[in-house]
Amino acid sequence: MKTFREEGREVPAVRDVSFEIRDKEFVAIVGPSGCGKSTILNMIGGLVAPTSGRIEIDGRAVTGVPPNVGYVFQKDTVFPWRTVARNIALGLEYRGVTGTEQERRVREGIRLVGLEGFEEAYPATLSGGMRQRVALMRTLVVDPEILLMDEPFGALDTHTKLNLHAELLALWEAKHQTVVFVTHDLSEAITLADRIVVMTRRPGRVKMLYDVALPRPRDVIKLRESEEYAREYGQIWHVLGEEFAGARL
Amino acid sequence: MKERGAILVWRLLILLTLLGSWQWLTGIKAISRTPGFYWIDPFFVSRPSEILKRFVYLASDEVRLTIWQMALSTIQSTLWGFVVGVSSGFAAGLLLGRNDRLARILEPYIIAFNSLPRIALVPLITMIFGFGLLAKIVLAWTIVFFIVFFNTFQGVRSVDADLVHAARFLGASEQQILRTVVVPSALAWTFASLTPSISFALIGVVVGEFLGGESGGGLGYLIIQSLGTLNAADMMVALLSLGAIGVVLALGIKQVEIRLLRWRPEYRNRA
Repeated sequence: MKTFREEGREVPAVRDVSFEIRDKEFVAIVGPSGCGKSTILNMIGGLVAPTSGRIEIDGRAVTGVPPNVGYVFQKDTVFPWRTVARNIALGLEYRGVTGTEQERRVREGIRLVGLEGFEEAYPATLSGGMRQRVALMRTLVVDPEILLMDEPFGALDTHTKLNLHAELLALWEAKHQTVVFVTHDLSEAITLADRIVVMTRRPGRVKMLYDVALPRPRDVIKLRESEEYAREYGQIWHVLGEEFAGARL
Repeated sequence: MKERGAILVWRLLILLTLLGSWQWLTGIKAISRTPGFYWIDPFFVSRPSEILKRFVYLASDEVRLTIWQMALSTIQSTLWGFVVGVSSGFAAGLLLGRNDRLARILEPYIIAFNSLPRIALVPLITMIFGFGLLAKIVLAWTIVFFIVFFNTFQGVRSVDADLVHAARFLGASEQQILRTVVVPSALAWTFASLTPSISFALIGVVVGEFLGGESGGGLGYLIIQSLGTLNAADMMVALLSLGAIGVVLALGIKQVEIRLLRWRPEYRNRA
């Protein structure tokens, strides 16, 4: 069991947010922009401390970046001066995994995200989707138990996004990390998550916790054509729509 | 490829026109057969043929200090000043970039020293370090140091916080963050300052040679000596040699820069 709980950050961000995330659960946080979704994620990741309240992982309060937590940023954080392979090797390097063991895991990672042939390429030569694949695999290659993702596919086109959804789900099915995925894209949340935290507009509070009743493994393309998907979408949209309508953009 | 050929032809044409008109214009007199009245007086600007003659003479072993020895002295001091300036500037930039408090304490001193016209330091540096190689290197160093220092400092300051966070989530220690994030991003800025640095190193060295006398040697000495003897041809030999050295050094450093920054998109197709 993992417990995340926060209460009362001052006016701008989030207020009275309290929920728990279960082990191996894929949770998505959706809400209008500025509702504090990313703030919640940053608090879980120890990048910012809550003004009041606390965040616990496995019963221990979070102070600073916790071990075994991976973070995939919205912004491109692939190191531009390192090749694809050297980027994916970063976490292993930091942990002192070297030599053939490092090589093996990097090669495996590159294969899993389909970047064979690009090992020695510099990020500037890659597309946005490929760079985000590198960022994802760089995080996963060190086997984090918890994966925090802050709109990781936000800057990608729909087609690339769907491909990455499929890849992420496949990777997740293999390891079942606990995932907290922040997005403003409701269809993305439904496609990926077991449970969706719907936030109100600023200051963000939890509007609704919604269990996504879609079977796994999911096919990201077929899923969207199914009636169940339409039903889930309709129900959450009804609630979320109120918030979007009231949000000042 | 064809375009490059055309550009090369144009460049050659301009060079030939320039040399040709220089040679020709300094040869015609304003009033015929009257000595001393030229449209363009070769006494001041010399003539290509004369310059070539002096170059051959200065390159021969009839002179005590050949042009090769002088050029070598200038290049040597420039490279030393460059190397010492770049490494110390980088170290200082890294140190102050990482240490906010120290940077704020030292800021007025750095700005004050950098605002000082470096040429004003020449007599003092000569007084301290004598007339030899060392004074020239020190002078080049005082210029290069600040260029590299400011660039590196800025580079350290503008390290992307998200990259630091990313490294931290991947399990990096402070030491590892310095090595894998801060230094590489700062180096990108440092490298970009190398090309101006080599040019400024050359400036520093030549200014040092103006005052350095024969023991310091170098092309700057030849310039000052030619002023003393009112010898425009020798002066032109020195100037043209300096120009050639400057171009070769700058191009060389540019190649190094392109190699080191090949991960950058703007350098990608040139590596």
